[in-house]
Amino acid sequence: MGEGSELIDKIRAKARELLQGGRVDCFIGYEEGSRGRARPAFIYDPQDAERLIWDERCAHNLVVYLHQFKSPLRRGEEPPRVGILVKPCDSRSLNILFREEQIERERVYVVGVTCDGVRTNGQPQERCRRCAERVPLVYDIVMGGVPNVLGRDDYADVTKLEQMSPRERLAFWTKEFDRCIRCYACRQACPACYCFECVAEQLDPAWMGIAIDLSQKQFFHCMRAYHLAGRCSGCSACEEACPMGIPLSLLNRKVAREVEALFGYKAGQDAETPPPLATFKKEEQLPL
Amino acid sequence: MTTDYEPRIVGFLCRWCSYPGADLAGTSRLTYPPALRIIRVPCSGRVDPLFVLKAFQEGADGVMVLGCHPGDCHYMEGNYHARRRYALMHRLLEYVGIEKERLLVAWVSAAEGRRFAQVTTEFTTQVQELGPWGGMEGRGGEWGREVS
Amino acid sequence: MQVTTREHLTAWLDGLARHLTLIAPKTVEQRVLYRPVADSSEIAFDFARTDLPVKEHFLPPTHVLLSIEKGKEGVRLGEPSPERERVVFGLRPCDARALRVLDALFLKEPADPYYAERREKTTLVGLACREMGEQCFCTSLGLAPDEAGDVDVMLTVMEEGRGGEEGRRYAVQVMTEKGAAILGVLNLEKVEGALPVPAAGSKTPVLEAGAWPRLFDHAYWARLADRCLSCRLCTYVCPTCRCFDVRDYEVPCEGASSGGASNGSAPGGRIERLRAWDSCMAEGYRRIAGGHNPRLTKGDRLRNRLYCKFCYYPQDYGPVACVGCGRCIARCPVNVDVVEVLADVATL
Repeated sequence: MGEGSELIDKIRAKARELLQGGRVDCFIGYEEGSRGRARPAFIYDPQDAERLIWDERCAHNLVVYLHQFKSPLRRGEEPPRVGILVKPCDSRSLNILFREEQIERERVYVVGVTCDGVRTNGQPQERCRRCAERVPLVYDIVMGGVPNVLGRDDYADVTKLEQMSPRERLAFWTKEFDRCIRCYACRQACPACYCFECVAEQLDPAWMGIAIDLSQKQFFHCMRAYHLAGRCSGCSACEEACPMGIPLSLLNRKVAREVEALFGYKAGQDAETPPPLATFKKEEQLPL
Repeated sequence: MTTDYEPRIVGFLCRWCSYPGADLAGTSRLTYPPALRIIRVPCSGRVDPLFVLKAFQEGADGVMVLGCHPGDCHYMEGNYHARRRYALMHRLLEYVGIEKERLLVAWVSAAEGRRFAQVTTEFTTQVQELGPWGGMEGRGGEWGREVS
Repeated sequence: MQVTTREHLTAWLDGLARHLTLIAPKTVEQRVLYRPVADSSEIAFDFARTDLPVKEHFLPPTHVLLSIEKGKEGVRLGEPSPERERVVFGLRPCDARALRVLDALFLKEPADPYYAERREKTTLVGLACREMGEQCFCTSLGLAPDEAGDVDVMLTVMEEGRGGEEGRRYAVQVMTEKGAAILGVLNLEKVEGALPVPAAGSKTPVLEAGAWPRLFDHAYWARLADRCLSCRLCTYVCPTCRCFDVRDYEVPCEGASSGGASNGSAPGGRIERLRAWDSCMAEGYRRIAGGHNPRLTKGDRLRNRLYCKFCYYPQDYGPVACVGCGRCIARCPVNVDVVEVLADVATL
């Protein structure tokens, strides 16, 4: 992807420059992990910028970490400024957070990279095959070569599910959610899930109980899918994080497709368009 | 799928239009099936789609969300938001296995007692024919035993 | 030593499944989990390590502790029905050792009756590992891939087998009286030979419990936790993690359990007290009334989890609360690798 080690040098140089100049207090990127994995890196010192890498193992959506930089590190200070490396899919998450006024644009320095797809354990991720954006949608600077492959989401798997009868679909999702252990890895990995107290854990009102039983799990996933309507960038961080291999993108993409069909809105394209469920058109006719 | 059962239907009616509409049906002595349990809310815009999901989880076989006609909302915009939310919720529910015929979203004004009775009767018949829901195991018990 | 074949094993397991609950590794979509099986055809015999540990059958993700009913005669407390006799088949030594680790807490007086009952009514049939997995590090904790001391019967796959799958041979070691009792009609053959020795993996240094307190204020923990998502899955896939939450729920009528909350009881209603898995990695886990949270940051929580395993638990109960199964390493989305952490800690 990109120009290999030359691109990595550029990324490191940029991070070093941002940190040395005091433009950012922390740079979030990727570094070499254990056992041949890549992992998120947090660079606070300019000389540590050497740790940064960039290759097709860098699958994580780093935007989720911006939520922990919203408050000042010490009382009386400003919240820290952060530099972040984003792929095109991650940049959509960024737009969503900018639009929802969760992160101030000026507080983030966005280093975008073009992307030809990422891999997990050497296998290309499904979502990359469906991706039509290979250049980040928001950035302060963009790096990387002209991307090679342009994909398209034909929603074939969603359509296949839609063609089943309702009872067959119920049986399908029951089978999938049965494996769920309510660990909330999906929610924690998601940049759009930032509620201080999730519906799943609220005590007053108590929407859900603590039980890890099927009806609670069905409720949780339907609830989360609905709360992500018009806000899910399709980064699949949830599906990748799930220890039980539940096909969450099959659920979230259905909702995203319906949002596009009903309201002509696709999440994360820019930071200006009002979210579809926060607005309305008086004269619109919607199927109810 | 048995159709010989007592359907349990939850209705979220808005305080300004559809609830008075239901009242009017009552004072006009219009009959409609007693399967409906009404919950009054200030506005159809107050009805969180999670209420609908929760109703199904707790054993409802059908859910109605009734509000003022678009343009007539007492709070100006509530039903416009509801309209968008439920257009979407219908499709999500259908996708996870709750037939979209189990959720009815309709606009009933305070003057439409007859329409309320008609809508409720038609919906109850529809839910009766679909059979009991019971798709979220672990909940739903035998709600039919009324606690007075 | 005594050996048996896969064919005899499956016949024996089918017999067991007829009169008690047989829990064995089963393929569920793309995962292998310990699940009750109706007969041996559902068992995944060739598996490396299950994706969830066997603890879910001793500390269930959710179960009813007691029920409270208010009727005309007053308040009546109900206990859950007794458990059935069970056999767990295909238990890896690390998971078996994990049960011993949990025993140190849950069977210590006053014992947890729910855990104790399940433990007592379960016979453990182990399956030794021939080699260590890529993420395994049981040997670093004084365990061995073929450790047989924590099960009632230990099976080991032998190298030679005649006639394909059905002829594959297993060495059978009877470790306890309970194990001898369960073997019953299993066809055993006495042969000459020795048990295969598993290939040794590399060891990672594990700091002993007393050496951890001095590292408590080190900056390492916050840096390590920067990438942690507090996703909690490490605690759920871990065979020794055991934290839980207890809440009361009203059940409208007979039958169903769990769901919406209320802590009053309606006339004719019933309250169930549920215990469910919880995790110290959740931000709100240690928040107390008044809002103070002693483990507010991810660094606090991650440090606590590691200290709980390698310092507090051994100091309070004896064993180190980690068996080196490697599930957390395999599943952590952001590569928080406990082996790497242990190696780092040894140099701090």
